Amino acid sequence: MSLNKFSELFCDLDSMNSTNNKIEVLKSYFLSNEPIDNSWAIYLLTGKSNKRFISGRYLKNLFAQIYKYPQWLIDTCYLKVGDSAEVITLLLKNKTTSRHKELSNISLNELLSKTIPELSKLNEKEKNFKIKNMWETLPEDNHLIFNKILTGTFRVGVSIGLITKSISKLINIDEEIISHRLMGNFEPSIDSYKFLVNKNINLQELNSKPFPFLLANTIEDKIFKHSINDFQFEWKYDGIRMQLIKRSGNVSLWTRGQELVNESFPELVEKMSHIKDDFVLDGELLVWNFKEQIACDFSLLQKRINRKSPTRSIQIKYPIIFIAYDLLEINGRDIREIKLENRRIELEKYFSKCQNKTENNISDIFKICDLIFPKDWPDALTYKEKSRENNTEGLIIKKKTSIYSSGRKKGIWWKYKVDPMQLDAVLIYAKGGSGRRAGLYTDYSFALWKDQELIKFASAYSGLTNIEIKELDKWIRKNTIEKFGPVRSLKPEMVFEISFEKIQISKRHKSGIAVRFPRITKWRKDKKINDADSLDNAYELMKKIS
Amino acid sequence: MRTKEEYLIRYKDGNLYCELADIWIDPSKPVKKALITHAHFDHFTFGCEEYISTKETAILIKERAGDNIKIKTFEYGEEFKINGIKISFHPSGHILGSSQIRFIFAEEKWLISGDFKLQKDETCKQYEIVKTDYLISECTFGLPIFKWDETNKIANDISKWITNSPEKTSLLFCYSLGKAQRLLYEISKTNFKGNIYSHGSIYKMNNCYKELGIDIKDTIKIESKKKIDELKGSLVLLPPSLSKGSYLKNFKNIQTAFASGWMSIRALRKRSGYDKGFAISDHADWDGILEVIKKSEAKNVFFHHGDSEALSKYLVEKESINILFFGK
Repeated sequence: MSLNKFSELFCDLDSMNSTNNKIEVLKSYFLSNEPIDNSWAIYLLTGKSNKRFISGRYLKNLFAQIYKYPQWLIDTCYLKVGDSAEVITLLLKNKTTSRHKELSNISLNELLSKTIPELSKLNEKEKNFKIKNMWETLPEDNHLIFNKILTGTFRVGVSIGLITKSISKLINIDEEIISHRLMGNFEPSIDSYKFLVNKNINLQELNSKPFPFLLANTIEDKIFKHSINDFQFEWKYDGIRMQLIKRSGNVSLWTRGQELVNESFPELVEKMSHIKDDFVLDGELLVWNFKEQIACDFSLLQKRINRKSPTRSIQIKYPIIFIAYDLLEINGRDIREIKLENRRIELEKYFSKCQNKTENNISDIFKICDLIFPKDWPDALTYKEKSRENNTEGLIIKKKTSIYSSGRKKGIWWKYKVDPMQLDAVLIYAKGGSGRRAGLYTDYSFALWKDQELIKFASAYSGLTNIEIKELDKWIRKNTIEKFGPVRSLKPEMVFEISFEKIQISKRHKSGIAVRFPRITKWRKDKKINDADSLDNAYELMKKIS
Repeated sequence: MRTKEEYLIRYKDGNLYCELADIWIDPSKPVKKALITHAHFDHFTFGCEEYISTKETAILIKERAGDNIKIKTFEYGEEFKINGIKISFHPSGHILGSSQIRFIFAEEKWLISGDFKLQKDETCKQYEIVKTDYLISECTFGLPIFKWDETNKIANDISKWITNSPEKTSLLFCYSLGKAQRLLYEISKTNFKGNIYSHGSIYKMNNCYKELGIDIKDTIKIESKKKIDELKGSLVLLPPSLSKGSYLKNFKNIQTAFASGWMSIRALRKRSGYDKGFAISDHADWDGILEVIKKSEAKNVFFHHGDSEALSKYLVEKESINILFFGK
């Protein structure tokens, strides 16, 4: 079927708030379209790939050139709209006068498997010509989809969960199974769609795929009413959550983001492949300080994440470890349905020996997660406060009787994060947001005092309510000192409480410090700018922590 | 070059003012004498000693604001003089009774566009091209991303939106005066043949339009204790002020939409909190503003209302039109 149908689906999904309605629309789309187009639709909607064929900037320049628009005018429009693909779509309206819409019946498959891949191979001149030609021959309703696919910005309010639910309803098979089938790479093809909607469940087929991850919720007060003995306590490491799978001799490393990362961590794959048993482990990958037996900073792990086939020297410089939390499958036996405390016994039974035995020693890359045993809840709090000392983010608390279901299931696993570090800072710059926040000033920069001067130390985007954002936006417009493109410098007047996770020395910043995950936690209307913190306060905080 | 005090019309205390005639245009605070372009409340303020407007605007204002307001009325095109300045109203196509106001003094023509649109609207007089030397124009949608679809396309989209969910009550939010009546007229030409309900504030304006000879469909005034079944599959027109808060609890199983030019932008649509947005406006789009400037033959343009930075720069660069800045 045609791209038109997919445009309609996009439009429908985009204007629906109810989950049930979205599921119904998806179901009827899958029923009335070809398997190959369905598989492309799933590929796009789940954001399995957001490959960018050309940049938004390129698209804007091309439009300006073809239709003789000044570049600054397109940039001004962009500030209002917040998405290059949409700006160009809106500007294209009524521009393409050609009445021959030859492409009015192009299929989603043809566009994605042929037209666009071919287009991206052309030289600049041919490419520009082809894009212009596509604009002229595609029906106007399809421009947005086309531009969004080109610029790799296809995002719509559909989660993998929603696709899972609709497929599950469509063929009457458990969501768990569908979710498992959707894990990992999804290569759009007739077969991949048929596999997804196959009514016969064949576990063999799921062999290379990870299980859906079970995620922890933020701690709730009601947990403190329960006996401490009902729970298992672990440190919350700041690494890459991962399933380490060995089935039929093959090892695969799957991240929570459903990426296969074998190539980035070959030493782990190699070591684990020597273990006799088959298994699925849930755990965390970290760069590890073996001398002190402590996790290294996340920034060191970043040096490994996007590097494929790391050299030997990189492997030595940034030594990794897999910390196993949980055992989900052992020698073909899926044990997710048994209680956590029993899974832990199995985990220790099979893997403690690997840590000790000399002939199969993997202790230089593998470790079973140590448990913590607080006496009571106040004691748990003390542990949590100490978590910074060993470079962890707090505690993970798991109900001993919990089975390994999927998703962010309520009431079984919790994260108990260490309280963030905070400083009161002055708002000095604001920049227009993009996407949903287009047209509002939502990207803020904050400063701390150094003598009589305000020095920028962090930028933050999140933490204000929509009402506060609107109020602040109004204030920003009235209190601008200067505009530099999309950025405004502001009268120093507003004080905000900024929370962050980590603070460290940084030569790259004028302030000399860098903070991790800065966010706004309070609009301190009660404070004047003279009450804001100084850089000295920040250095003190840093000293206190290290 | 004249100083701004020497212009026939200029800003004074944030409002348009003609000193020679001692008259204000759509003032936001009480003054002695005020010309009113149309009956929307952001263009009308209580407490002026005397108002001057078209006949339709006067009737709509009195319906909304009460009878004991002194309004002098003139027909479209009828010239009257104040202190030697010739003044006349001309249709602006925004809502019923809306007008542009032209001033002629010492052979110099000034035109205040008021709020205007060029799109066809069967519920009011079509925009009239008026030639002028100086143009004071609105600029609500002054970016080229704003391009309106044909009205009947939007009306059909609305009709489809309602009929695709027969089990729901469709709440369409729109301005009570002008937009509601235009939508009503257009929707009654579509395939949607179900009941249309309107909120009291809209119902009142519908009646006014009908008395002034505009042929719009009858609606049922919405009562808060309506049976839910009756509303299933119907369209309900409501003012935007009721979209937030407890009023919506009167309905069950609803879908909501907002009819406004801003709804052409996805980010604004998402942020608005309505399920759906229909981009239909009673203001001119980018091409509309450019067309009016061109056809008016104005050599000097001043923008009033809206963000005009981009449009001003564009006109200076591309069309060599002189842009005036009065300051506020």
